[in-house]
Amino acid sequence: MKCAPFEYVRAGSVAEAVTVLRDTDGEGKILAGGQSLVPILALRMARPAVLVDVNRIPDLDGVARNDGSVRIGALTRHSALVAQTEHPLLAEAARWIGHAAIRTRGTAGGSIAHADPAAELPAVAVGCGATVHVAGPAGERSVPATELFVGALMTGLGEDEMITGLDLPVPARWGFAEFARRHGDFALVTAVVAEIEGEIRVTVGGAAPVPVRASRAEAVLAAGGPAAEAGRAAAEDLRPTGDLHGSADYRRAIAGEMVRRALAQAGVGTGAN
Amino acid sequence: MSDAEDTAGAGGTGSLGRSVRRKEDRRLVTGHGRFVSDLQLPRMRHVAFVRSPMGHARITGVDTAAAVDAGYRVFTGADFAGVVLRARSALPSYVETDQPVLAWGKVRFAGEPVAAVVAGDRYRAEDACELVEVDYDPLPATVCAWAAPQVPVHAAAPDNVLLERRFEAGSVEAAFAAAAVVVERELVTNRHAGNPMECRAGVALWDAAERKLTFWSGTQVPHIVRNMLAELLDLPEGNVRVIAPDVGGGFGVKAVLYPEDVALCLIARGMPGVPVKWVEDRVEHLAAATHARDHRYLISAGFASDGALLGVQADVSCNVGAYSVYPWTAGIEPLMAGGLLSGPYRLDNYRCTVRGVATNTAPSGPYRGVARPASVFAMETVLDAAARELGLSGVDIRRRNLIRPQDIPYTMPSRLVDDSGHYGACLDAALEALGYEQWRAEQARRRAEGGAPIGIGFAVYNELTGLGRAASAGPRMPFRTGHDACTVRVNPDGKVTVFSGVTSQGQGLETTVAQIVADGLGVGYDEVEVRIGDTDTSLWGFGAFSSRQAVIGGGAAHRSAVAVRDKVLALAAGLLEAAVEDLRIEGGQIRVVGEPTPRLSVAEVARVAYLESNRLPAGIEPGLEATQFYDPVRGAFAAGAQAAAVEVDRTTGELRILSYVCVEDAGRVMHPQIVDGQIAGSIAQGIGGALYEHLVYDEDGNLSTGTLLDYLMPTSAEIPELTIGHLARPAANPLGVRGVGEGGTLGPNAVLAGALGDALGVAVDTLPITPATVWSLMRGQEAGS
Ligand SMILES: Cc1cc2nc3c(=O)[nH]c(=O)nc-3n(C[C@H](O)[C@H](O)[C@H](O)COP(=O)(O)OP(=O)(O)OC[C@H]3O[C@@H](n4cnc5c(N)ncnc54)[C@H](O)[C@@H]3O)c2cc1C
Repeated sequence: MKCAPFEYVRAGSVAEAVTVLRDTDGEGKILAGGQSLVPILALRMARPAVLVDVNRIPDLDGVARNDGSVRIGALTRHSALVAQTEHPLLAEAARWIGHAAIRTRGTAGGSIAHADPAAELPAVAVGCGATVHVAGPAGERSVPATELFVGALMTGLGEDEMITGLDLPVPARWGFAEFARRHGDFALVTAVVAEIEGEIRVTVGGAAPVPVRASRAEAVLAAGGPAAEAGRAAAEDLRPTGDLHGSADYRRAIAGEMVRRALAQAGVGTGAN
Repeated sequence: MSDAEDTAGAGGTGSLGRSVRRKEDRRLVTGHGRFVSDLQLPRMRHVAFVRSPMGHARITGVDTAAAVDAGYRVFTGADFAGVVLRARSALPSYVETDQPVLAWGKVRFAGEPVAAVVAGDRYRAEDACELVEVDYDPLPATVCAWAAPQVPVHAAAPDNVLLERRFEAGSVEAAFAAAAVVVERELVTNRHAGNPMECRAGVALWDAAERKLTFWSGTQVPHIVRNMLAELLDLPEGNVRVIAPDVGGGFGVKAVLYPEDVALCLIARGMPGVPVKWVEDRVEHLAAATHARDHRYLISAGFASDGALLGVQADVSCNVGAYSVYPWTAGIEPLMAGGLLSGPYRLDNYRCTVRGVATNTAPSGPYRGVARPASVFAMETVLDAAARELGLSGVDIRRRNLIRPQDIPYTMPSRLVDDSGHYGACLDAALEALGYEQWRAEQARRRAEGGAPIGIGFAVYNELTGLGRAASAGPRMPFRTGHDACTVRVNPDGKVTVFSGVTSQGQGLETTVAQIVADGLGVGYDEVEVRIGDTDTSLWGFGAFSSRQAVIGGGAAHRSAVAVRDKVLALAAGLLEAAVEDLRIEGGQIRVVGEPTPRLSVAEVARVAYLESNRLPAGIEPGLEATQFYDPVRGAFAAGAQAAAVEVDRTTGELRILSYVCVEDAGRVMHPQIVDGQIAGSIAQGIGGALYEHLVYDEDGNLSTGTLLDYLMPTSAEIPELTIGHLARPAANPLGVRGVGEGGTLGPNAVLAGALGDALGVAVDTLPITPATVWSLMRGQEAGS
């Protein structure tokens, strides 16, 4: 469990980072908090030739309110996401990431780029309709989170692109529920409920290769249906795969329950609205 | 946890029974522990192992050329083919297995070492591993001990059975014929492992001029390791020195001599003067250190209508993995399961066939509680099942059958002799501490008014501890682990140095031995220093396993201390011209009975013993030292009972432990905090096994739970507040102690499965109890109703 040899470059700017990445022809990898990358390197499941350390690039961290959304720098640590008060849903979700040591190092940009299907931040990004800002050798572009995630641990980022930050709309009402085997584990299932511009968005993480909107559950709610029914609709929509920690049927059932709980927390589908 | 007083640095009147400050904690909590991985020696090189990626395969070629060309030393199975680890036992039916140091010919489990490389650091060593090319011709793998074998793991055992034994007493047929109910269950327990915080580690150094091998090893059993290394390497035993410095947890996993250990020593012999180091990582540990508890019980039990247990019949298969573990043999789990299945219950009619079955999985070995977390689960499950059928409570059926004080000595149907009988008292105290009646009332209230279901579960067990020569005879190995030795030396300044054969993996043996010696000799706790873990300084100790050290190593320390005390008194009597019977030592001071002030100190006596031989009384030799062995001959059973109330979330299948109680009879409690720590830690490991930990192999013999991402260990967040109580009934040994190292692990499987059954009326037949399994049980129930 020791990494294969690699070269190390500490980038001083985004431009320098993407230039180095471009010059390595796909053999380079960004090192942010290292909480996902380093274990993979240690298991020799990844063997990049060059690691580009982005941790010292200035002005890439922090959470700032910007009208109806917050701007989150790519290097913002999970612990800062927990501490901020501008986006309560984000703070709640970040609290569920790993343990204190991991939250102190892990970054928002790293979590989005790593695209673990069970991770909290990708589910929140899809759930709130985030826009992800990406820099490449040719300049900057913005991608909706719903389009960024293309598969388990897969994004539409180019090999020479870097996430610089994301804009995350702040929901009027929100709910977050997660089920994990132990405190701090990656979720079996997360459910995110966010009311954005009057629309109730229901998103489930951990039950598909990418976080998915539960459109039938949303339709049930739009028609004034109760949370329990929306939960059932969400469950029926999902086609999760089973693994060591639970069968497909079990995950589906848990997903329905987490959706119900997140809706209850948001105060949606209680019959009162 | 129950409160433990902190009487730091107690001197004076006796330290036993008090939570004196632990001797080892200053270095351990200030970061000055000395673990094998901390060892830095000049010219040290690092070893990494090339391991089999296959569960079962023929090795058709090993090509080391690329690694050798890159400048690395490489060793393969052929280099060490002359040495095999063969665990021996005289039991009939036992098939010995030859475990190679590095596999050659074929590999028998994924993770088995095939080659070793030596490099300047561990990173480069792992680079070098990638340069070694091994060709495999895959063979079908067998991973389940009760499935039809594919290709035999060892040619000598075509059915994969390495050992089979039948326990028989009375007539099960007659008992079942007379029974009002016979319950029958098939129970499967989950493979899991001890997983100490520090993985295995070793440094070997060969001194070619002196022909001396030094092996620093994170082992629980340095003297056994020395003995076996001397035999395997054909060296005089005095030329082998094994040093176990601080060791970060063992739990049985480190009571085994592994092929990697022997490989390190053989590599060292091939590289004279160069210390070679191997520190196991967690991936290696999960794959290749010993596993345990992978059992199936086909069990039937007959009961009279009043709940009396009339007969038990069982067929027990234990998955012993690819090799008969060295030196404990494949019998370690099956023999324990069959010997103690009936536990603390009176039983006359018993038939139990146990077998150890080889498979293409990592070898099984000793793990805290050896087999009994599984066998207690089996026994308690049939008690609960019968209680339900007979309309009795779980408490009543247990009380009806427990071995009582008046039954002692009680010969179990396996012919082990129980010296305790305090089971009912433990159960009563546990129920009281749990608040049993209140939980029953709350359960009824929730059933009537709705709310998350609550269940109450129990386990009562007998933990066989401190086995002497008679009790340790069962496995018929070529050695008997009944005794330990201890040397107590009073130095010329009156301070005391103890060379004890015990070892410590965190359980505070330096402290315990110091307490025993201080009190036995009559000096302050702070005056005593204890050295352990080095075969060059301590005479003999079998090491840490079977909850034996407090009883046996402690007994040896006590006897040695008393022997030195006798000499101190004899010398003082001569100096004072007083009668020995009139002298007392306390707090290092010697007084004549009835006199207010001490006449002499132990330090003054020591000075005479070493420096002023002109003052030595006639007939007394210089020096103040004694070495004594102790062997309790039999064992001391420790009674225990655990109970818990749990709540089930019907939507997710999650179990929440509302209250968890354990009452054990540790005999005389020498250090309350250490004893409670042992009990709490073992319950935590038991809860891990009951709810989380599961080593899963796929059909090809690959470990699916190869990292801690998938192999779930409980953290402090998963372990509830524990209530621990004691029943201090002294055992018949010099200190009155019973072992407490393992008992806690025996309860949680049975307690939590029983509580779940009580809450929902479901039958828990497989472990671990995960939310997904609870959910499936509930769904099955809905479908059935
Ligand atoms: C024990 C443990 C438990 C954990 N539990 C959880 C959990 O419950 N939930 C959860 O969500 N996560 C969990 N994590 C992962 C953690 O949240 C990581 O911090 C996160 O997944 C990655 O962030 P990082 O900054 O550490 O990225 P790194 O590990 O440095 O990088 C991860 C990947 O993202 C790429 N990358 C990083 N930054 C950028 C960027 N700005 N632009 C483009 N690519 C980039 C890297 O090249 C790499 O491929 C856990 C980790 C551990 C070790």
